[in-house]
Amino acid sequence: MEKNDGFMKALRCRECGREYPLNATHVCEFDFGPLEVVYDYERIKHCLTKSVIHGRPETMWRYRELLPIAHEPTVGFQVGYTPLVKADRLARQLGIRELWIKNDTVNYPTLSFKDRVVSVALSRAKELGFSTVACASTGNLANSVSANAAAVGLKAYVFIPADLEEGKIVNSLIYGANVIGIRGHYDEVNRLCAEIAGKFGWAFVNVNMRPYYAEGSKSMGFEILEQLGWRIPHHTVVCMASGSLLTKIHKSYQEFIKLGLVPDAKYRIHGAQASGCAPISTAHKAGMDFFKPVKPNTIAKSLAIGTPADGFYALRVLKETGGSGDDATDDEIREGMKLLAECEGIFAETAGGVTVGVAKKLIASGKIPANDSAVLCITGHGLKTLDAVVGHVGRTREIKPSLREFESLLNAENHSELLSR
Amino acid sequence: MAAASKKRKAHSGTRPEQHETKRLWLMYPARLITTPVIWQLGQKFKVVTNVRQASVTDEIGIVCLELAGQRAVIKEGIKWLEKMGVSVEPVEINVIES
Repeated sequence: MEKNDGFMKALRCRECGREYPLNATHVCEFDFGPLEVVYDYERIKHCLTKSVIHGRPETMWRYRELLPIAHEPTVGFQVGYTPLVKADRLARQLGIRELWIKNDTVNYPTLSFKDRVVSVALSRAKELGFSTVACASTGNLANSVSANAAAVGLKAYVFIPADLEEGKIVNSLIYGANVIGIRGHYDEVNRLCAEIAGKFGWAFVNVNMRPYYAEGSKSMGFEILEQLGWRIPHHTVVCMASGSLLTKIHKSYQEFIKLGLVPDAKYRIHGAQASGCAPISTAHKAGMDFFKPVKPNTIAKSLAIGTPADGFYALRVLKETGGSGDDATDDEIREGMKLLAECEGIFAETAGGVTVGVAKKLIASGKIPANDSAVLCITGHGLKTLDAVVGHVGRTREIKPSLREFESLLNAENHSELLSR
Repeated sequence: MAAASKKRKAHSGTRPEQHETKRLWLMYPARLITTPVIWQLGQKFKVVTNVRQASVTDEIGIVCLELAGQRAVIKEGIKWLEKMGVSVEPVEINVIES
């Protein structure tokens, strides 16, 4: 029987270039470098045109030839094609001519960009014959694996540090996932998860399925280019945890250029981190091509990765595109979240506050020129990180059930507003 | 019944030691750059060390290491490395994502 790998050619080591079959494997046996999917771009060029894309449903799968599945997707049909919002009010606040928000806070079904990577990983896992999927996660990834696995009847195991807050666990338990809390120091838990991933014959989405999983992030970049009218934004600001999303946004731009879907143009990709966990942006500012591990201490928990697996590659993208890296303090993160909510009606999680906070700095410093345009990638919904803003977003004013009391409250507030002008 | 319980007892008493291979990233700070950490590891513990990639500057040492030996001995070796101030990650580096 003829082997059908769709438009994928092989897995290739990002370090030495050795190629491997398209199996559930993620590390080069020779130098332990990470593996990445290689595509047959010549064939894709003949199949994937703007008119073909236009004719497909508005989901991330409209670019399926550039995603690592051999056949039609089987998980997460509705994922992606989230709004690209022209953010004029926020643009005025930040002092830039044109600003766009790629709004993955409304991604389906779990309100974060992780639904993109997980639906790709699970679709590929099913193609490879897996019936059990797993991940190690403290938040968005766990929710997405649990929900997407439930929707197609896959068995899911989710590994978490045992001291994780109850609220984050409920978001996975509700889907019937097997949630296993591991007691111990973070590094021990991390190593055990790697061991479990190696020992059991499961599709561990961010371990043995990582080459496929990570490719799902490209769909965010493809959508930005199409929604902007088939052009590359001059500036794109992306938050960095492992650094993978930033490298895949870059890859998506390069692939569309290669296929002739957008004109080749100069662009810069900027990386945003929280000040309490900024190994990549710190290394970039210091002009280094490697990062030093840090112990995270930030309210942006979804970005709190002290030893980012793709940090080296993210640094390379920042350098190649002439982008900048910067960080935002906890207060700046909250301010960024409030700005985005008050100006555009978008409630993002803390990672979104990091992106807005860093964009503000880059615009103020001229690294993103005020007369230019930029896209901010917002990756998850604010309801996931309510704790970070409780007590920082104003207060409720209470009154008795009396119209007179309400009128006097309004008058008092109008009066103080007039005085403050 | 008695035979079954005897069998269980025999198993629990003579559990064979597991031999395994681990793939790790070691990162060590500037103060350890001149210390022959991997040589010391091989001297102190009965493990086979095999460096697959390395980058050592005057600021940081990053080594991709394959470690083979008895499971318990490898665990002890990792504990010793961490005590020395070496950060020990699996080859995937960060398995726990947000």
